[in-house]
Amino acid sequence: MHNPRWMQRCSMHAFRSALAAFALTATAAVATAAPGLAESLLAGMAKAPPVSTPFVLVSYRGVLDRPLVVSGNLRWLGGDNMERDIAKPFRETAKIADGTITVQRGNGEVQRIPLARAPQTNAMLAGFRALLGGDVSALQKDFTLAAQGSEARWVITLTPRTDSIKRQVASLVIDGRNHEPRCLTMMDANGDSSITLVGAMAEQGLRSAAPLESALAARCRNP
Amino acid sequence: MIRGARVAIWFLWLTLVAGIGWGVALHLKISSDLRDFVPPARTADQKLLLDEIGKGPGSRLLLLAISGAPQAQLADLSRGLDDVLAHDPAFAHVANGGNDLAEIASDLLPYRYLLSPTLDTHRLDAAYLREQLQQRIEDLSSPAASMLEPWLKRDPTLETLKLAQILAPQRQPKLVDGVWFSDRGEALLVAETRAAGFDPGAQASAVASLQKHFASLPGSAKAKLVISGPGWFGVQASRHTRTEADRFGAITTVGFILMLLLAYRSTVPVLVTALPLLSGAAAGFALLALIFGHAHGITVAFGFTLLGVAQEYPLRVFSHRRIGVETSRCVRELWPLLATAIVSVCIAYLAFFASGVAGLQQLAVFTIGGLVVAGLCTRWLIPLVVPPAKRDMAATPGLAEAWHLLAHLPRPRWLPWLVALAGVAVVVFAPGKFWQNDLSALTPIPKAELQRDARLRAALGAPDVRYLLVLRAPTAEGVLGLSERVAPRMRQLVDRRAVDGFELPSRYLPSAATQRDRQARLPDPADLQSALQQAMQGLPFRAGVFAPFVADVEAARKLPPLTPAKFEQSPLGARLESMLVAQGDGWVGLGTLSGVNDPTAFAALTKESNGAVHLLDLKASTESLIIAYRHRILIALGIAALLLCAAVTLALRGPRRALHVLGPMTLATLLVLVVLRVAGIPLSLFHLVSLTLAAGLGLHYALFFERRTGDELEDLRTLHATLVCVASALLVFGVLALSSVPVLRAIGLTVALGVAFHFTLSVLMAPAAHLEALNESVPDSSAHAGSGSGPDSTSPNQAPKQNA
Repeated sequence: MHNPRWMQRCSMHAFRSALAAFALTATAAVATAAPGLAESLLAGMAKAPPVSTPFVLVSYRGVLDRPLVVSGNLRWLGGDNMERDIAKPFRETAKIADGTITVQRGNGEVQRIPLARAPQTNAMLAGFRALLGGDVSALQKDFTLAAQGSEARWVITLTPRTDSIKRQVASLVIDGRNHEPRCLTMMDANGDSSITLVGAMAEQGLRSAAPLESALAARCRNP
Repeated sequence: MIRGARVAIWFLWLTLVAGIGWGVALHLKISSDLRDFVPPARTADQKLLLDEIGKGPGSRLLLLAISGAPQAQLADLSRGLDDVLAHDPAFAHVANGGNDLAEIASDLLPYRYLLSPTLDTHRLDAAYLREQLQQRIEDLSSPAASMLEPWLKRDPTLETLKLAQILAPQRQPKLVDGVWFSDRGEALLVAETRAAGFDPGAQASAVASLQKHFASLPGSAKAKLVISGPGWFGVQASRHTRTEADRFGAITTVGFILMLLLAYRSTVPVLVTALPLLSGAAAGFALLALIFGHAHGITVAFGFTLLGVAQEYPLRVFSHRRIGVETSRCVRELWPLLATAIVSVCIAYLAFFASGVAGLQQLAVFTIGGLVVAGLCTRWLIPLVVPPAKRDMAATPGLAEAWHLLAHLPRPRWLPWLVALAGVAVVVFAPGKFWQNDLSALTPIPKAELQRDARLRAALGAPDVRYLLVLRAPTAEGVLGLSERVAPRMRQLVDRRAVDGFELPSRYLPSAATQRDRQARLPDPADLQSALQQAMQGLPFRAGVFAPFVADVEAARKLPPLTPAKFEQSPLGARLESMLVAQGDGWVGLGTLSGVNDPTAFAALTKESNGAVHLLDLKASTESLIIAYRHRILIALGIAALLLCAAVTLALRGPRRALHVLGPMTLATLLVLVVLRVAGIPLSLFHLVSLTLAAGLGLHYALFFERRTGDELEDLRTLHATLVCVASALLVFGVLALSSVPVLRAIGLTVALGVAFHFTLSVLMAPAAHLEALNESVPDSSAHAGSGSGPDSTSPNQAPKQNA
């Protein structure tokens, strides 16, 4: 049984991006015209929980004049259970279980958000499960998939099909090398965006405290 | 009269009855307004109960549980049902835990600073804004970011969210897939109907619509929807009662027809017997429609029961027909006695008319009108449709022997007095409560369903339907102020576990005074602008991004406080509407409570507020109303009994003969009470009405047995008639006594017992003299038929009077 290296250090990132990445990768793999790429990507995806990876999330928001950066660790515990711990610049724990997102910042009050109210997170979780459980058709229900490049250097684009997701998400682009995703770029429907670095990219960290979106995007695509 | 003419008249009669019945059905409104049927409320709580019964917030809730499918599918069904119900005008509000309250609260957006308690403890100064903005930055990286972002520029302190949290149910079931689930894995919803909880018609259509919606959801075929709550129980109870009544009705109809065929060896009685009763009912309804325009459901049920007496009229005619004698002559001979019975009963029912309660007046009109019409039909229409007899019922095999046997039963004269004395002692001293005041004891809802209701209610934190917290003040604003002052005390009661949860009107709408206080704490634009600038220093927010916030605060400073009328137009308005009601000169706030563990703990609250706040026990109030109602019925029945005694005494021209009629009736009624008491059955209104019906039937038995015809054949016909009447009553009501519906069982058991006792005692306590006279002569079925007879003993071949 071969577990690809990237999965062991699995670089994933903020829920949306992370889950999206998996989902995307898998689906794209299936949808792509290159069956070799799809097969190898899929094979690389299969993994037994728990899976853990560091992440760096850089958000570009219309209300802010500079990007927000948070970093921490992401874990998939199997099934619909995920956890995201932000370690910097503040502490926050978010968990998905029983269809509910539970968020606790520091020692503050626990906030509960129905997963149904966060359609993108919901769909991505579904995709993630589909990927690891091998049910890619579930993903294709919510997203149109497109894959480009080669196995060594690929880009998968996920475009929402369903209205509830479209209202919040314009697209998700995942850049990866071999079996390893590097960056998840989420374009929100309102023009905001975020880039999540996972795996090796997250370990390398940022080169600037407030990287320009274009610069970071370029880094995701280039070596 | 020729056969063709008889058939034509019969058909015309039937058509007429059907026509009147149909016409009345179109015009008569059957109401379920309890106010028609109970005496005027005396206490303020009773008045509140009558005004608000079923309209209260708790009683309009339907609790829904979906099960029997995988969890994800149940959640989808819950969301689907929530969505369709939200667009169904029959429902005021629906919740499944997945509702986006922020969206609902957005209607109240301009008022958020007046409605949210933030300003009670904070000011919109630089320090507070800085803390809030810092939190918003962190929020922007959280999974909830996409939910918060749209609000951010207008509402950086998230008052809208705080408002949504206030408006959200305090105790919620756990969320799975974003919707409520019970510990047993059922998806839970709460739907609030617009219709009052005890409006069975409207509740039935709401439930039907709900079930139709559910059935049309994809994937609902395998899942199971369970509905609970007062409205559902009302619908269930009436459906259950109707089904059972229909089933027993079918059984007894078949039995009745067989019995008629057996007793009369002819199909004529089968075709004719029901007509006087139906005519009476149609006439009764027509009178109700003309006089009142509507009838209470209970009037109809009780009235029909009481009208059952009229079934006897045609049966008497059939038993007393003789070969070679026109039916009209037989009817004429019977008529004085029948008329005596009808008039006596009608005079008695006049007492109901004088009761002053609309429902009882309707009952009197229906019953008196119905009995008179049934009597008149028997007197003048039956002879037109019934052919001359082909056989004499006196010749029925075994009848003479039965009469002989009955005549020879020992009848010690002291026995009735002893039985009466013992009976009174048993009735008075038997243990167990005498009256059934608890209406829920009469509900046909299975225990399992009631337990499930309690479980769902607890899981959903749905309000108790028994208790309400009543807050009284001269104005709506006063109620809201009172509600605000009571809230902290209620929280203490929750801490002390006297109650699990509560909801007060001020939770939805603070008093205008509170709103003005908060308004006064809002900064002016210049202050807010500078505080904001200070707060934003060093934070990554773009300059000027909070301009909408500054504008909103300025707008809020100038708003007139939100009034109840304005609030009630918002999506959550229905909640407040049911919690804040005008009553008489003042206003009443209705706080809902869940899980009242210690009702006595509220006494201190009442004392502190000088009685402005108190716990209303709906059960106790209902019971007090029922007691008041029963009191009226008992008085009416008492007067009715006196009138009946007077009427019978007058008709029989003396107390001695009257005693032979009234004695068995009284004793039989007493014996039914004895049996019920010994069996430990507390008496309800249904028992009282049934006792009255039984007494009406008993009056017939006693009157006919008391009649001195001196003609043994006529006596045999009387026995035949009475036996048929008794058998039919026992058949109808005996079967009803087997019902699983408590109300039907109460009526069936009481009437069946009553009929048995009335019959036995009428025979045993009939004047001994004329029974003995009969024994001396040998029954001879070939004896000439056609002896006239009547209550006044004017028959030509009458035996000499032998008054003992």
